[in-house]
Amino acid sequence: MKIIKDKVAKLSFVALLVAMATAMFYAPAASAHGEKSQAAFMRMRTIHWFDLNWSKEEVAVNETMTISGKFLVFAGWPETVDKPEVSFLNVGIPGPVFIRAGSWIGGQLVPRSVSLELGEVYEFKVLLKARRPGDWHVHSMMNVQGGGPIIGPGKWVTVTGSMSQFVNPVTTLTGQTINLENYALDNVYFWHAVWFAIAFAWLLFWIKRPLFVPRHIAVSTGKADSLISAGDKKVGMLFGVGTMVIVAASMASTNEKYPVTTPLQAGLLRGMKTYQMPESTVSVKVDDATYRVPGRAMQMTLTVTNNGDSAIRLGEFNTAGVRFLDPAVHEDDTNYPDDLLAEEGLTVSDNSPLAPGETRTIEVTASDAAWEVYRLADLIYDPDSRFAGLLFFWDANGNRQLVTVDAPLIPTFI
Amino acid sequence: MSASQSAVRSRAEAVQVSRTFDWMILFTLFTAVLGGYHIHYMLTGGDWDFWTDWKDRRLWVTVAPIVSITFPAAVQACLWWRYRLPVGATLSVVALMIGEWINRYMNFWGWTYFPVNICFPSNLLPGAIVLDVVLMLGNSMTLTAVIGGLAYGLLFYPGNWPVIAPLHVPVEYNGMMMTLADLQGYHYVRTGTPEYIRMVEKGTLRTFGKDVAPVSAFFSGFVSIIIYFLWHFFGRWFAKTDFIADDAS
Repeated sequence: MKIIKDKVAKLSFVALLVAMATAMFYAPAASAHGEKSQAAFMRMRTIHWFDLNWSKEEVAVNETMTISGKFLVFAGWPETVDKPEVSFLNVGIPGPVFIRAGSWIGGQLVPRSVSLELGEVYEFKVLLKARRPGDWHVHSMMNVQGGGPIIGPGKWVTVTGSMSQFVNPVTTLTGQTINLENYALDNVYFWHAVWFAIAFAWLLFWIKRPLFVPRHIAVSTGKADSLISAGDKKVGMLFGVGTMVIVAASMASTNEKYPVTTPLQAGLLRGMKTYQMPESTVSVKVDDATYRVPGRAMQMTLTVTNNGDSAIRLGEFNTAGVRFLDPAVHEDDTNYPDDLLAEEGLTVSDNSPLAPGETRTIEVTASDAAWEVYRLADLIYDPDSRFAGLLFFWDANGNRQLVTVDAPLIPTFI
Repeated sequence: MSASQSAVRSRAEAVQVSRTFDWMILFTLFTAVLGGYHIHYMLTGGDWDFWTDWKDRRLWVTVAPIVSITFPAAVQACLWWRYRLPVGATLSVVALMIGEWINRYMNFWGWTYFPVNICFPSNLLPGAIVLDVVLMLGNSMTLTAVIGGLAYGLLFYPGNWPVIAPLHVPVEYNGMMMTLADLQGYHYVRTGTPEYIRMVEKGTLRTFGKDVAPVSAFFSGFVSIIIYFLWHFFGRWFAKTDFIADDAS
């Protein structure tokens, strides 16, 4: 019995070592951002990104591309997430594979944090300059203080070329044009090398002599004072005074070399310009909404009233960046990411034009694998099981109206 | 050989063993301090030390010395009172900065491609050397805490200024003025470090105008004195050998 036990133990140990060794050879690059892991209600009820456009799908190093579009700061912002009073327009990319050459909200450059208003729509643009070759998932993103990163839709962009060719020229207010990629790097290395050399010299002065055992014996026997000689003290004085002299002299020479310097800039930008969407003349009441788990489909019963002067049809339901379209009403021509686009994912029980003044109750079904793939179905496990999204209605002339919906969601498991 | 016999047979052999022991202890001490101090400093100084656009004249100047005088004080307590070796602070900071450089070069640059000129570590060496020298000359914990601790705080900003000054040159960018360090932080995207997390230029020292760095440095020096005392006692406590049987101390 003992022999069998020993063998099992030995084999288990070998198997463990083999598994660990094998695991070391498989280390895929983390090229996306765990956006699917973010709580579904965060993506559905905070920032709604729409009209997104990635200007290019392939760029060479040093070339630029833009992500542009609009976002609605949802009026029904969840109570469990801090309001976007301090937010930062970011991009979700795996580190600085691009540099952010510019970012704007409503035409205003936003290198700093901004304050956003609930219920408002903002137009944004982010200018990216390619830096590192590879295939990168490029997302729009809004960081909210107290709320965390709220990641928008992402699209794969290929960067070609070589990172060694990347340059980042900047002209300072003192008239000097520098390459920010490696600016002042020699200076960093130089000063650190100088101080390391001085520190090592001080260490070497002491550790070249017998250390722990004889010194401990001396201290233990009351001869500690004999361990520091007058010469040692002179060397110590030299290091102490020398250090202060070098610090003072290097600071003075630096001030002479860089007479114009300014403090770091910080602050919150308020009063961001909002984007005025056409006034909606459609009112929508959500009578009920269910999510059918086996069918990966959300069904809504909506009572829609057209208060406008032209007939309208429902063409799109957009939630968490996933777009469900009724192709009879609207087709995407923006090359939106395939995995986020259900081109035939929206079914409406009666989607004939809703005449001005007419009210109709319709059954709307948004179905696609994206519910599962993007883990939006996990909404049923969230602390506040409500769904939200954008409904887009079109009239015969192609005029679009946006209506937000926000209602409880009941899951059905059979 | 019985337990009562010596392991060495001559004085020369004893010296050789003693030196071998020295290097073993030094190596162990160095790597242990490197690891422990590095974790401590990353957790407490963190972003202030990681990024140039956090290295401001108020909070970086204040925080970095206060949270970094800890291990130097503790290691000094051990090495000085047990061995009369005035290298505790320098040894700690050299270990920390070597660890930091490995981290910044291998991880920040090697894995995530942040240029080294945005993520180099702060220079803590001038203060550490002075701390050791004051302890050696004064042979007093109180004197080292008061004079050395204050000097440690005061020397930090000027000791780093030659490195960061080029990055505080202003630039006009799309109609806004910022420093090159600000621009680095904006250009080199940190998905998990949004701008609002930056704790820079916050505080109430507005009556000092542009000369706020010396005031911050003095404040940092004063708090460093207190932290020095605290960690010096930690060091002394950890350097006790009560757990060894028959030890008088």
